[in-house]
Amino acid sequence: MVGLNRNIVRAILLVSYVLLVALIISGISALIGYLNTGADRSKMLHTEVRKVVQYLPKVVWKPLKNEGRPMDMENLNGFQKDYLDAWYVRHMAYKTNLKVGIKDYYTDNARVQLYDFIAQNKAQNITIESTTLKHSPSLEFFSEDGQLIVITDKNVVEYKRVLKAEKLVLETTEMSTYKIAFLLEDGFWRIRHLVKEVSEDFRCDVKTVTTNALSIKGINYYPQATPWDMFGDAFSKDIVSKDFKIIKDAGLNSIRVFVPYDLFSKADVDAPSFERLQQTLDIAAKHDLKVVLTLFDFYGDYSVLDWTLNQRYIEKVVSKFKDHSALLAWDIKNEPNLDFESRGKDLVIAWLTKMLEYVKMLDTMHSVTIGWSDTKSATILKDMVDFVSFHYYEDLEALDSEIKRLKKEVPNKPLVLQEFGLSSYTGFWNPFGFSDQDQANYHKKVQGIIARNDLPYMSWTLYDFVNVPTKVVGMLPWRKNAQKRFGFIDENGIKKAAFTHISK
Amino acid sequence: MQRILFFLICLIIGSSFRVWKPYESLSAIKLLTSKVNFEVGSEVTLKFATSDTLKPLLYCTNSYGATLVAPLLESNRLTYNIPQNIANKIGVVHWKLLQNEGVPSGTFTMYPKSEVATMETYIGPPSISAGGIDYTMLVVIPTDSLDNPMPVHTLVKAKHQFLDLEKNDTIYTKNLIAYKNIYSKIESGRMLVSSESLGTNSKEFTVDVSAAIPTNFNISVKRPHDYADGNQITTFTTSVIRDKQGNVVSEGTFVTFFIKNSKGNVLKTSGITISGVATAKMIHPDYEDYWTIKAYVRGMAESNVLHINYKQVIKDFKVSFSKNNRVIQVGPLQSFMQQLIPDGLQVTLKVYKDSTLVETQSSTSYKGFVDFKLKPFVFENGNYTLRIETAGRVKSFKSKNLW
Repeated sequence: MVGLNRNIVRAILLVSYVLLVALIISGISALIGYLNTGADRSKMLHTEVRKVVQYLPKVVWKPLKNEGRPMDMENLNGFQKDYLDAWYVRHMAYKTNLKVGIKDYYTDNARVQLYDFIAQNKAQNITIESTTLKHSPSLEFFSEDGQLIVITDKNVVEYKRVLKAEKLVLETTEMSTYKIAFLLEDGFWRIRHLVKEVSEDFRCDVKTVTTNALSIKGINYYPQATPWDMFGDAFSKDIVSKDFKIIKDAGLNSIRVFVPYDLFSKADVDAPSFERLQQTLDIAAKHDLKVVLTLFDFYGDYSVLDWTLNQRYIEKVVSKFKDHSALLAWDIKNEPNLDFESRGKDLVIAWLTKMLEYVKMLDTMHSVTIGWSDTKSATILKDMVDFVSFHYYEDLEALDSEIKRLKKEVPNKPLVLQEFGLSSYTGFWNPFGFSDQDQANYHKKVQGIIARNDLPYMSWTLYDFVNVPTKVVGMLPWRKNAQKRFGFIDENGIKKAAFTHISK
Repeated sequence: MQRILFFLICLIIGSSFRVWKPYESLSAIKLLTSKVNFEVGSEVTLKFATSDTLKPLLYCTNSYGATLVAPLLESNRLTYNIPQNIANKIGVVHWKLLQNEGVPSGTFTMYPKSEVATMETYIGPPSISAGGIDYTMLVVIPTDSLDNPMPVHTLVKAKHQFLDLEKNDTIYTKNLIAYKNIYSKIESGRMLVSSESLGTNSKEFTVDVSAAIPTNFNISVKRPHDYADGNQITTFTTSVIRDKQGNVVSEGTFVTFFIKNSKGNVLKTSGITISGVATAKMIHPDYEDYWTIKAYVRGMAESNVLHINYKQVIKDFKVSFSKNNRVIQVGPLQSFMQQLIPDGLQVTLKVYKDSTLVETQSSTSYKGFVDFKLKPFVFENGNYTLRIETAGRVKSFKSKNLW
């Protein structure tokens, strides 16, 4: 008994000794680990490559005529990067009321100013979502030792959404001129003095492009094998050419094509995707078809800090294709009203306004529209678009009266029925769906209404599809399968009954 | 019936008033403050006359940020106290009253205090060269006590002292800063720089004026004797190297000496200047030689060309064979006074079989002698040609029989 007790005591002593040693070792290693953090040389020197481009407002430098040391492009590019980062961290700070990143881009004295605003806004539950859309800096001064820069950034276009208690209280676009002094510290160009010299409200005048002769008889187009991925590696000129001939021969005169955001925003203008879009337009021109290009396909962020990137996408696409003879109109976004609920109606509308203004600024010749998904949203921004586009998948009985209502509400601009159609899917997921004949009757009926109202139209869509990507209508099989059967031509390439009514 | 009609009319009129009233009251908010320029640090308030009890927020934004201000409503008067952090910085403040209709908006300007509290000074480069071409740049940002730069055209005095010169230049602020290029003089030395604006002085800054680039110089050589003994050291020395103004070049100026020998090989040695003089060393050759020496401060200056001779020390040497001719002893190797040459002279033995080189052995002398051994399992018995080279001299032994 005594022996057993002694062994228990021994065991306890041994185990507690081992535990104590383990504890001490882990404590020491944690301490060493802590002391080593931040001592990574590559990080100390800021040599890490930042791969994510998150902020790209339009920057146009005035010709360099600065006092002091002559500026070279290498230094100017480095400086511009830091300057824009300074704006970016400032936008982030006022959006989140956090101080992250400020100390890298503002000197000790200047950052206090930002901290004051953050503290003030945080206390009152104010957040400001902002961005700058345009900078026209001119370099005033570059010191001989390359450590100090003064610039004047003229007519900076600043957009702000001021929220109090998460409710939008003000949306404002201002145009301001700043004089800014920078110091080169720790390899960063940091803002030392910032003086706003002029500030006024900014208004972008949008001129309406008159489109009296809008006689669109068209169709929404995707190749049969690659729906929603038209400009990927599977792109084939021959298929597009063959399809365009079918469309032209069917008595139609225009098509609607979608320009995906991800693919085109990341690519250079001479990338394959741009080349393929160019070829598509060339082929359309050859077949005497006009093209409505729908921008921002599969884009859904809208956040204010994303706008500069959105504008660069517009810039690339619009400036490359605005002079193409096949181009009919720009469609800013497909069915943006579907994002009202998840992203906020006012934010989406603000986004649409800014993007529309930008497209119109770059291309004054072509008309611009927005592809609203229903007749209820169609009148939003009716003063800004050149023609009003809407989609119609509801009950045909109401179509005629809806058209009449819209014509009354928008008396001075053309209306375009930009999407309509009926799925001929009947099967496991929808045993009581519509037949091919129902679809044909549907199109016959729509064509009747169209003819009565003299309405330009674009139907959905040329082909039945075999595969519909999940990103289009989600995972649900009854929706996916329905989406596959909207075509005038079935998956075997045979014209369905509805084809007779594709244009009449 | 008439009553009902009257009632209805009253109702219509009444309700239309209800519709009208907020619109009228909102548009009736009127700015009372007429002042649009304020000195930083002062209290800035915007006052509005109102006929309503609504208290709309005021959005205001300055150079650094934006915020919302809530009003005080007293006897039909809305008072907005602009936050001190906005009132403390110069620049335009843009404001807007947050209400639905006809947003009154405007701007006012904050201007700096008419005093300078800090002379924010940057000077660079901190080291320039003498001669009147190079310069350093003084950049001054005079700021008030709230860290605001002074307005355009504020007078700044840029002062500097160098040797017996004290100068005072007048410059003016523009683009937030004032700057002055300060040129070096003929002499090297230290320049003290400071500045002043509105009675406030900066601290003292120092700029080093170092000598400009060196000009051509002369070299000389010093050696214990002129024999090619492979043992003594020859020392090369430059004259005092100066820039074109006669300033001694900076300490540590790097001078490289290139030596070309009679075989056309180039030897290189280098030194750095102390008080303008650089020295470098090179060991004597071990055979008769003729050196051509020239020194350079790379890319800037060069010296004259110097020629020196080294005399042969070993006129002749003995070679003796023993142990079946397989042990070869070279020596005694004797120097210019017939003394045994210091240890370390290189002797090379080359063994040829049927006029092809089969072996090269090198060894250094020890106490005046060098021994070579030709081992039987490497060199089979037979006739070999042996060639011994040292101190530029060669001795050949043809058809030496090893057995």
